[in-house]
Amino acid sequence: MTGHNAPMLSLWLGAYDQGLAYASLALGTYLTLRVLNFADLTVDGSFALGGGTAAVLITNGVPVPLAILSAVVLGGLAGTITALIHTRLGVNDLFAGILTTTGLYTVTLRVMGRSNIPITDITPVVNWPDFGQGDDGRWAIALTCVLLGMIALIALLLATDFGLALRAIGNNPTMARANAVNQGLGLTLGIAAGNALVGLAGALVAMYQGFADVTMGIGSLILGLGMVIIGESVLRPRSVPTALFAVVMGAILFRLLIAIALQLGLDPVDLKLTTAVLLLAAMSLGHIKLPGLNANFQDAASEPAVIAGSEAEADPGSGEQP
Amino acid sequence: MSLRVDKLCWGHPVPGGGWRQLFANFDFQSSTGEFTVVIGSNGSGKSTFLNLLAGTLRSNSGSIHLNDKPLQRLSDHRRARRIGRVMQNPLEGTCPGLTIAENLRLAEGRRRSVISWRGLSGVHPSRADRRRYRELLEQLGLPLADRIDTLVGQLSGGQRQTISLVMATLGQPQLLLLDEHTAALDPRAEATVMALTDRLVRQLGTTALMVTHSLEQALSFGDRLVMLHEGRILGDWSARERQHLTPESLREMYGAARVRQTN
Repeated sequence: MTGHNAPMLSLWLGAYDQGLAYASLALGTYLTLRVLNFADLTVDGSFALGGGTAAVLITNGVPVPLAILSAVVLGGLAGTITALIHTRLGVNDLFAGILTTTGLYTVTLRVMGRSNIPITDITPVVNWPDFGQGDDGRWAIALTCVLLGMIALIALLLATDFGLALRAIGNNPTMARANAVNQGLGLTLGIAAGNALVGLAGALVAMYQGFADVTMGIGSLILGLGMVIIGESVLRPRSVPTALFAVVMGAILFRLLIAIALQLGLDPVDLKLTTAVLLLAAMSLGHIKLPGLNANFQDAASEPAVIAGSEAEADPGSGEQP
Repeated sequence: MSLRVDKLCWGHPVPGGGWRQLFANFDFQSSTGEFTVVIGSNGSGKSTFLNLLAGTLRSNSGSIHLNDKPLQRLSDHRRARRIGRVMQNPLEGTCPGLTIAENLRLAEGRRRSVISWRGLSGVHPSRADRRRYRELLEQLGLPLADRIDTLVGQLSGGQRQTISLVMATLGQPQLLLLDEHTAALDPRAEATVMALTDRLVRQLGTTALMVTHSLEQALSFGDRLVMLHEGRILGDWSARERQHLTPESLREMYGAARVRQTN
């Protein structure tokens, strides 16, 4: 390997690792936004909660897998809360997510005890091979295995009757209900699963970057959405498994673009603005629909159908003779 | 009696204050396998009646029994295990983002609660499921048999409504509700869907209620014709009694009811 290529390779590998660490955020966003058509802002809170939980547990000597599992479970719980606020109390999806996220900020801060926790020493359970690339190589192998397993698991889940029902809920809630799908329970389990994935992403990102910060979740939803959209617009998937793969690729590609921008001398202060512009470009390229927005319109059209239907019925004045 | 509605009451607030009681002590019965066509002018309560049966609207009082089981306490998705529905809008009754086979599978699972461990057993629609659906569509003479992996969103309105109709009859429903399901279709698609409706209802032997604005349909389909006006039954004819009716005589009845109402 030449001296010129080495930093380039490490740049690629670093972006690849970061992409994979963020990939379950993208998968979680895909599940809530694309499959369930639910614009879930809980993601911002559950990402930080996952990161904070993992950091606290690891620094206190809890084994890494258990720390990660805790992050996943807490992420899932956060999602459950949002889903219950939405399905039981009838609060709009965006507001339900914002409410949970607002509360989660305190929860995360309480869990962490302070706003920033460095993770200095991670004892790996599996001794992953590094292919001469040190930690970056080990991360790459470990994360690739985890992500491949995850894609397979989610693809399999979405291919069952259960998954079909979740897709129907996102596609046409009225029709799902008319076919005896328990929409409330389906949404709750789906949003919980989505946020469990986001909690996992939070934990992995915190471990990879070596610290957790209570603000690390800000902008996660839009980041996840950006990864989903980049992946979809590049690979144009036509089935659920390829869509999941595309979403993971989107996450890697996104981190790579950021890495290149930084390499080209971008001031880290300008990173968020650059990210926003990058996402805007991705969203406006091609025929891309914003699913979250559609979801709101669909909900508005379908849920108060009771009222709309009775109004239409209760208008004899405009009625014509049949 | 397969379907028994007793003393059903339902009303709604009207703009500018006040209350409109559409159904007051409404009674209705239908025997197993009976295909009833319901007509009435706008605001007569036809669709509201179907919504009350399906559970998308909740009655204020009264009872609804389907095969002697009370429906009132069941949530609408639980009621849907027993009730197949075709909506007026072809876009509403199907999932455009799922394939024909996936839509049919969903409807077929009506009786199972799929959001549970049971829903995780196996990949569906499987090859065997798809073969079964292909055979079903072929048997019904539908040209969609070789397109079961097509997204429903890519079908025409008539084709979608056909799929929606087939879906409503899957999973052994005890009651079939058809809410102006041909209203959004062109005459040719309407004829196809109505022929299929008649065939499926007969084949299934399920109690069926069809709301329509078409007096031609009302006079040529079903075993019984019911005319609603302001939440009351204005006329109730068997297929034989119906033979003496014409579209004109039905229109006159509407007119007379309306005049009585304004006086």
